Amino acid sequence: MKAIIVDDSNFSVTLIQSMLKKKEIEVVATASKVKEAIQAADEYCPDLITMDVTLLDGDGIDCAKEIKKRNQQVQILIVSSMKDDEIQKRAKEAGAMGYLQKPINEEEFFSALDRVFFSDALFKMLQENYKDAFQEAMLHMLQQTIQGKIDAKESRGTFNIRKSLGVSVAIGIIGRHSGRMILDMKNQTLKNLYTMVAEDKKINKAEGVIFISEFANMVAGNAASLLNQLNRGFGLRVAPPTVFGGKDIVMSLGEIENKTVIVNTDAGEIFMNIGFKKGDEVWMQNLSTHF
Amino acid sequence: MDAKLINPFLGAVQGVLPQLGFQHIEKKSLEVKKGKIKTQGVVIVIGVVGELRGNVAYAVSIEDGKKIASTMMMGMPVSELDDMAKSAISELANMLTANAGINLSNEEINVDISVPTLLYGQEIEVNMSEGNIFCIGFDVDGILLTVDISLEQNKS
Repeated sequence: MKAIIVDDSNFSVTLIQSMLKKKEIEVVATASKVKEAIQAADEYCPDLITMDVTLLDGDGIDCAKEIKKRNQQVQILIVSSMKDDEIQKRAKEAGAMGYLQKPINEEEFFSALDRVFFSDALFKMLQENYKDAFQEAMLHMLQQTIQGKIDAKESRGTFNIRKSLGVSVAIGIIGRHSGRMILDMKNQTLKNLYTMVAEDKKINKAEGVIFISEFANMVAGNAASLLNQLNRGFGLRVAPPTVFGGKDIVMSLGEIENKTVIVNTDAGEIFMNIGFKKGDEVWMQNLSTHF
Repeated sequence: MDAKLINPFLGAVQGVLPQLGFQHIEKKSLEVKKGKIKTQGVVIVIGVVGELRGNVAYAVSIEDGKKIASTMMMGMPVSELDDMAKSAISELANMLTANAGINLSNEEINVDISVPTLLYGQEIEVNMSEGNIFCIGFDVDGILLTVDISLEQNKS
């Protein structure tokens, strides 16, 4: 992979250069002026350009726009010591892949590169880790709130459908690669959990919905945080939960590759299914960590 | 939830469905419900995060779901709600929500959407939020499609 660093500060150039070296990305040119940058981009056709906003003879974002016009393939990462919404908006409109504030944090920089250039590897990393993260978050949640037996076991293979035992919760998870978590349990399990957590025997339907929403929200939120800590490039965020109840409900799970964990507690069994889908390239720019 | 937020979804239904082979699309009803909806048949829910946060649910009867899948698959007969049909309906929900997202971004509101969750059953109660849900009913070539939108400004 080839990169060009456009920056009027030697210090920044050296710093970015040493980071790119760690990722085995070759720096083919550096530039400190708009004109030089456009010429270098034409000459070398790099995969990546890091672009400072303030250049010696002009504006880095205008420069990025011009380079993108000539070569749509190149990914441009805008860097600036200023962080304001206007710069970010302009960077996005110019077609940049993302925006990082100076001094560049190495971890953030690598995450941004992972999102764009190593998307397959990032998805593989997610696939290898999401089950454990959700299982850990679920166990942690239960250990904090209820007493007695708690264990979790992975149920092998991808589930195609699931007949609801009574109450189900779905939470959408959005990031570079998006997915969802589904919990399913008997109504009695929900009541037992509530009794154990709230030390209150009576629960009406509305309270049950709020309780299980919050429960699911915390599990999914904590799992997403664990995964984001592993690689910030995942950029996972959770949507609010939806709680389903009714008669003879069947959930369709098989549209995406998924994993299931069966959690056994004294309150009853909780079925947890999580699945992720490889993100669409089109969304890449919109999903950049800093937009 | 702000009533203005339904326009991007109206636009999505009117804009996307004709591209998939549907001819006649008419908005039939608009209701505001509190917290939950009750339905039967097929429901697809998609989560939304970003400057707005919430969920959008699409509901049709099983029979209408099969008709939608059939139209989307160039008129291929669909006798059962099989994997192919479910996948077609999920994809429709995905396209509509993504398109509404583009309409929102044109109004400077940026959102991202999750993968769809599809379920079906006799009596389905969908608890979407503690706030208002805007439920828009469409007649699409005789198919009754309901779009239930529950979105709030993201304060964080």
